[in-house]
Amino acid sequence: MATTTATITLSSADIQSDVLALTKQATLNKGGTTTGLDQTTGLNKVIYTATTNIVLLDSTALGVGKAAKVYVANKSTDASEYITLTINAQIVGRLYAGDWMFIPWSQSDDAGNIELAPSVATALPVEYMMIHEGATQTSA
Amino acid sequence: MATTTAQLVITSTDLLSDSLSLSAIATLTNAGSATGMTQTTGLARKKTESTSLYILYDQSALAVPAASAHKIYIKNLSTTAAEYVTITVNAEEVGRLYAGDWCFFPWSAHDSSNDISITPSVSSALTIEHMLFFES
Repeated sequence: MATTTATITLSSADIQSDVLALTKQATLNKGGTTTGLDQTTGLNKVIYTATTNIVLLDSTALGVGKAAKVYVANKSTDASEYITLTINAQIVGRLYAGDWMFIPWSQSDDAGNIELAPSVATALPVEYMMIHEGATQTSA
Repeated sequence: MATTTAQLVITSTDLLSDSLSLSAIATLTNAGSATGMTQTTGLARKKTESTSLYILYDQSALAVPAASAHKIYIKNLSTTAAEYVTITVNAEEVGRLYAGDWCFFPWSAHDSSNDISITPSVSSALTIEHMLFFES
């Protein structure tokens, strides 16, 4: 078993009159257990050159209802450039340049892919990583 | 304009044979600009006591603009490993947030049915914290 932690820090001195300084850490475990997640796609970096909607992570039967975690970051430095994230065609949101997200992914069914569509066809770099309990291996 | 940052650090010394130490920091800005996001719901806490669906962020009620750069933070404060909340966007399941887990993601709020909801796995008391950063 592996021990992997994810820590978020939200900070602002001026978004409200009380200073925001929130730090929370999660240990990434298999669903419903205290056993650490032990598999990962590794950190991927892809440069997209089309606005076509593409499958970032393909939902697989082994992941249904489990505790996979997904990290996605838009590494563009042009503030106007974004990627639109969808799950099973449902728009979740837009990640603008420099934004990241970290979500659980239950792969609720075979159609529950995580997909993205870049806003521009010029080179737009994206990093992503999944930490998970298992994935279905497709026969050759 | 406000300056708000969100930092993520993922670490592990034994998930891979190479140590993992990933850090990402984002400054929360309005869509397509360098202007800092200025509005928030503040950090909220909700105790659930049924396995019904709870709407955390109602797109219609909040009337936040569509296709923007809103961000949502949710944490499951349960300490019982088996307890989770299922997060949905317009009835589409995103994932399960188990005890101690948190998530942070963009919200497009693109139509009136694009609510962010949770469904607890248990009918006993389960507490979550959540926060929305938004633009107008």
